[in-house]
Amino acid sequence: MAKRRHLTIAVAAAATLLATACQTDSGGGTRNSATPEQAGKPVQGGTLRLVGGGDVDHLDPTSSYYTVTNGILRAYARQLFSLAAQADLKKALEVVPDVATEVPTTANGGLSQDLLTYTVKLRDGVQWDTTPPRPVTAQDYLRGFKRLCNPVAGAGAPGYYTSTIKGMAEYCAAYAKAFEKDKPTPKALADFQNSHDVSGVQAKDDKTLVFTLIQPASDFLNILSLNFASAAPVEYDQYAPDDAAFRQHVISNGPYKITKYVATKEIRLERNPAWKQEADPIRHQYVDAIEVKQGVTEPDSVQQQLEAGTADLAWDLPVPTAQLPRLTASGDPNYKVFPGAITNPYLVFNLQSKNENGAMGKLEVRQAIEYAISKVAIGKIYGGKDLNTPLHTAIPPGNIGYQEYNPYPTPNDEGDPAECKQMLSEAGYPNGLTLIGAFRNAGNHPSVFQSYSADLKKCGITVKGLPVRQGDYYGAFLQAPSIAKDSKWDISAPGWVPDWYGNNGRSVSQPLFQTNCTPGTSNYGCYSNPEVDDLIKQALAEPDQAKSAALWHQVDQKVMADAVIVPFQNQNTPIYHSKRVKNALYLPSFQLYDVTNLWLDPPSP
Amino acid sequence: MTLTEIRPEAVPDKVIAGRSPWALAWARIRTDKVALLSAVVVVLLLLLAAAAPLIAQWSGHGPDDQFRDIGITDQGLPVPPNGTFWFGTDRLGRDLFIRVLYGARVSLTVGVLSTGLAAMLGVAVGLLAGFYGGVVDTLLSRLMDVVLSFPYLIFAIAVVSIAGPSLTATVGVISFYSWAAIARIVRGQTLSIKEREYVEAARSLGAGDARIMFVDILPNLLAPVIVLVTLLVPAAIVFESTLSYLGLGIVPPTPSWGNLLSEAQGFYRVAWWYLTFPAGTLLLATLAFNLLGDGIRDAIDPRTERLFSRRRGIRRRRGGKSGSDDRQGGQGGEARRGGEEPSGRMNTMEG
Repeated sequence: MAKRRHLTIAVAAAATLLATACQTDSGGGTRNSATPEQAGKPVQGGTLRLVGGGDVDHLDPTSSYYTVTNGILRAYARQLFSLAAQADLKKALEVVPDVATEVPTTANGGLSQDLLTYTVKLRDGVQWDTTPPRPVTAQDYLRGFKRLCNPVAGAGAPGYYTSTIKGMAEYCAAYAKAFEKDKPTPKALADFQNSHDVSGVQAKDDKTLVFTLIQPASDFLNILSLNFASAAPVEYDQYAPDDAAFRQHVISNGPYKITKYVATKEIRLERNPAWKQEADPIRHQYVDAIEVKQGVTEPDSVQQQLEAGTADLAWDLPVPTAQLPRLTASGDPNYKVFPGAITNPYLVFNLQSKNENGAMGKLEVRQAIEYAISKVAIGKIYGGKDLNTPLHTAIPPGNIGYQEYNPYPTPNDEGDPAECKQMLSEAGYPNGLTLIGAFRNAGNHPSVFQSYSADLKKCGITVKGLPVRQGDYYGAFLQAPSIAKDSKWDISAPGWVPDWYGNNGRSVSQPLFQTNCTPGTSNYGCYSNPEVDDLIKQALAEPDQAKSAALWHQVDQKVMADAVIVPFQNQNTPIYHSKRVKNALYLPSFQLYDVTNLWLDPPSP
Repeated sequence: MTLTEIRPEAVPDKVIAGRSPWALAWARIRTDKVALLSAVVVVLLLLLAAAAPLIAQWSGHGPDDQFRDIGITDQGLPVPPNGTFWFGTDRLGRDLFIRVLYGARVSLTVGVLSTGLAAMLGVAVGLLAGFYGGVVDTLLSRLMDVVLSFPYLIFAIAVVSIAGPSLTATVGVISFYSWAAIARIVRGQTLSIKEREYVEAARSLGAGDARIMFVDILPNLLAPVIVLVTLLVPAAIVFESTLSYLGLGIVPPTPSWGNLLSEAQGFYRVAWWYLTFPAGTLLLATLAFNLLGDGIRDAIDPRTERLFSRRRGIRRRRGGKSGSDDRQGGQGGEARRGGEEPSGRMNTMEG
């Protein structure tokens, strides 16, 4: 089911970054900043300048997964539903109609009584930027769904769809099988898509889509609001998904269209004349153009440009950690910290490891470690308490099932080496033990490793460092259960940013804690508890949100009782914009400002 | 004896007669203030590195002790230099002074160890190639060419991803990359020395290959090798720092100068001490080793012009010219002389 979506991110880290789709919610805990600014009257015109390091992962809405890509994708690809940028961050987590005319409910007939059939009507006036402009139809969405599991550049998280929509899993399996040997030429792909149907997605007419689900899914509209579920015009059948030719011919149905794309250098978007304000409830067309300049990989130099006004927003780089105290102290109005809803980083145990007599498989050892860590010290690596709050639960605030409780309390969250030592001794390790700690050798990660190792040292646990290249860390290392089974690592500190917030058990608890020891798993340590699996199943099927929240909370309690992870902190997001950027509305899902709602005053820098 | 007496033209014959080449070299180096100062710095660094545990004990700050209360602000910023932390602290609240000292242990160990290994291997290979010539020489020289043409960073990354980063891997990578340069020089020297009359004399007396190599030729190679080694040590230290900086060298929390620089890079605008002290120490150490190497070279062989041309020769070869066309380039007159009076072996080699 839900798929990998990890994420890395060092929100406040130096260097690189970006992750995949994600979201955040106002959850408890963070005071601090983030009051929407008084924007005043909209100003038209100007070029919004973004500066950063790398390129998009994909321009094709079907396959793009980086949060940064979503920052501009929003301007040229629309979904049926969306999470709108709102001054009130709580509201920003509610699914609203985008190309759909309304949210389907049982009351308005859009949702059947058995909660299995969704009928979605498309809005009039939504058009493709073709010559002449052509209306976006239900068939275009259908084509989008069929492209989801293409074997060339498919969706990063097809599991959300195959686990909910009837026939989707079979369609995807057939698609994969058809191209096991055959060369996936554009024509062959299009032929397959046009000759095979997904039984659970039907275009009843040009303006009506009908979805049939396998079982009730109260988060289905969230799934439809992800970029993977964008419409695809018939022209896309000419290209292999997201190939170089595709990237030069992206067709927009949003307020901006891509007028220039030079890989790893520059992306430019200009107003899309086919777009109509009255047919778009959540976007605007204030600025004339949006340009992304790449190749600046130092967070510090991007920050200098923003402060000097020679750029407006950072593209893929965080505000440099070391600059945060200065910005906080100066009260700079262009600097904001938004409350986070993510668990990043957290400590995960490799339950498969045979090292030290299988110490990681022993509950008492893991529980001892729960007491050892100073969450405050980890927090300081990421800028201190204004930017993070110590986290005690498996599910962070802003995600379904979160309730504050603290199963392993330590004084001031600074760790309790004595308690750890005693538990370790009771567990049969009076003389301590030696573990292998894998860490990414970039950004803040080596410091995180050294911080928790120092804590464990006090408790008698020696941690031997195993540096792993950042690019290999998830896909080639943590997500490979064979490496875990070979006892190559005992503990590690990954991060997790969910694909959406709110009703999102499918993108947090399920991928992290449901039994799954296959390649690509996000349950890195191969934790398996039938009771937890059962609770997850019930929670996913439960239509009543309050009841499902209670079930998810039980998952949290079981997981923490089993000491599967040590949560460290919930990380907030600091963002900086140049002083001419107005009406900057935060998109918690992407930890970015919405480029389709801000304006520039003055328009020329 | 005053210092000026050392210049050959100023010194009466009888004084010279009693001195070995090493005594001469020592006398010369004593006049070189820069070299002496460098030597003092090097010795001081070595002493400080050796005494690091004592200093840590005396200060009460271990290299990995994190002073989360006084060594770091609430916002996670390091603390500037003060009475408790002479070089300030790092981002985890550790004493930067102690870490720089412990870093010196690692960096100097790696520098000396890997250069030592490289020298042993380089001398052995160079001696064999130069002495036996022929197929042996061709094979070994090609091997040197291959090693010298390795893109070292890519090679290092490959080794580290297979073996995992560690002190051993770091030393291995650096020695592997350094030995060929030494072997080249040694081979060239051997080529010229083995044609000298005293070697011929030894051979005609029935001395075996091993005896000629180790007793007659090897001692005459020491001077250039010592010079080269002194110059390779700082290069190895910088190489280690580069690897560690990239996260491919020494594994944290063990400090090395490269690790310290890597950690400090995000903080240069807000914590000048974090970058300055490790970088300054690294600079001081490499400068001192380089100047000392220059001084030793001048002292062992005052004909610096010839030596300079030899060094240029090395560089030219490294630039990719093929070894055989160029193999005499660095050897100046001696090698040419060898060419004019070829021995049988020499002919084979040239063929």
